[in-house]
Amino acid sequence: MEGKIIVVTSGKGGVGKTTATSSIGAALALEGNRVAIVDMDIGLRNLDVVMGLENRIVFNIVDVVLGRCKVEQAAIRDRRIENLFLIPASQSDNKDVLTTAGVERVAKQLRAKFDYIIMDSPAGIERGFENSVVSADEALVICTPDVSAVRDADRVIGLLYARSLNPKLIVNRIEPARVMRGEMLSHEDVLEVLSIDLVGLVPMDEKVLISSNTGTPLVLQSDSKAGAAFRRIARRLNGEEDLPIEMPVYKTSMWQKISKTFGLKP
Amino acid sequence: MIHFENAAPVKLKGVGGGFWVTLDTSRSEELLITEMDKLFTKLRHLAVNANVVIDMGDARGHEPLFSLIKTRLIEKFEVGRVTTPPQKQSVPTQRIRQRDLSKGWNHHRSDVLMLRGRVRSGQKIDTGKHVVIFGDVNPGAEIIAGGDVVVLGRLAGKVHAGNPKNETAIVFALVFDPTSVKIGSVTAAGSEEISHTIPEFACVKDGGILVQDYMKTHPFRKMPWPEPV
Ligand SMILES: Nc1ncnc2c1ncn2[C@@H]1O[C@H](COP(=O)(O)OP(=O)(O)OP(=O)(O)O)[C@@H](O)[C@H]1O
Ligand SMILES: [Mg+2]
Repeated sequence: MEGKIIVVTSGKGGVGKTTATSSIGAALALEGNRVAIVDMDIGLRNLDVVMGLENRIVFNIVDVVLGRCKVEQAAIRDRRIENLFLIPASQSDNKDVLTTAGVERVAKQLRAKFDYIIMDSPAGIERGFENSVVSADEALVICTPDVSAVRDADRVIGLLYARSLNPKLIVNRIEPARVMRGEMLSHEDVLEVLSIDLVGLVPMDEKVLISSNTGTPLVLQSDSKAGAAFRRIARRLNGEEDLPIEMPVYKTSMWQKISKTFGLKP
Repeated sequence: MIHFENAAPVKLKGVGGGFWVTLDTSRSEELLITEMDKLFTKLRHLAVNANVVIDMGDARGHEPLFSLIKTRLIEKFEVGRVTTPPQKQSVPTQRIRQRDLSKGWNHHRSDVLMLRGRVRSGQKIDTGKHVVIFGDVNPGAEIIAGGDVVVLGRLAGKVHAGNPKNETAIVFALVFDPTSVKIGSVTAAGSEEISHTIPEFACVKDGGILVQDYMKTHPFRKMPWPEPV
């Protein structure tokens, strides 16, 4: 069976594309799939750092697309998780070195070798975005609960639809306490504007930073709420579509619960 | 002009609260007055204080005859008011009925662009027509219409109705929350206020843009019949 290419996009930068790509990729591999994570953020590579694999890079995705090496030579095996591979971005090249035709040719080879290929795209909607989505079978849009991220995600969703992709949404960095205080948009607010299928809600979690700084997979940390959310997202993408979406919750006192019932603002 | 012998020069008809007198102005003044005297003499006290309408067909040029009759009826028969037929009503009433029944919209080519779905950030709808959208207009989206803009959903983007110079255009939304509104050449920035969940519309008034509760103040309530656009 042919593998599936899932592109992770957002429009706005810094909302969690790289975090989501590495976590969902790792979780899909833990589910028993053969997974390749591809860093399409040419010139700003960081998936290798997040995954703790930067010391092992020999070839990168640009080398593969330009025919300087084979897919197998560029794919780095993860240190901890079996069947998880990273094809890194090149640090030095400009993103214009890739062509959509070249990416599509490599995509075909990747589909033959892996069950899932997760592509981390650069921020923005230019050439790098184009190269990332050209061969995708599915698209994930990452959005944080703030007005500018929603605006950019909306733009990207329009572009994905225009390329016959049916994007699914992940809302990242949710802070239930701030949502309750009305300081932050709720995921309902985000969904109201974007109105696409939701695959997961990921809470703000300090473990994310710790995990990327130490190069240890977030999804292997049993006490990480974000890691748990990404594992459930992976299961949903892996066929368990009906797995319920857990809402990040903020433990409220009895009194606040009561006042909420009556529609009063605490 | 041909006259039939049996066509009465003066006809009298009772109408609610008074009398309607039709005069054949092609007959001589004396004949008309004699005939009228006869009829009103018969009416006697019924004529007292009654409202009398003198219908001379096309009354133009017969003003002296009308005032002569008016004075005579008031002085001799003590009628109340003497008037000519209410001009404004009779002719247009007929036309209204015709138009109301004509169902002209069966052959009407619409000036409306009707769309379904969500207009997303970065997307732009630009048309010389009126625009009706079943769906929402997101922040960062833009609608430009030659006529009205109707959003059956949340309007949160940028909107220009009546492009370029039609200041009679309106913008309507079920949830009215645009970032900016322009009608014709009048512009207004979106309000900081939390949007109400009542249908509202914007129009140009006194050189500015006014947003109002649609159900209370929409401009179409006084139209006599529905018109196709
Ligand atoms: N759920 C989360 N909780 C806490 N921190 C998070 C979470 N998700 C992402 N972060 C942090 O936010 C920052 C940006 O994340 P990340 O690099 O994944 O975003 P990105 O969309 O890939 O950015 P870029 O557009 O620059 O590639 C990182 O420091 C990451 O650790
Ligand atoms: Mg990134």
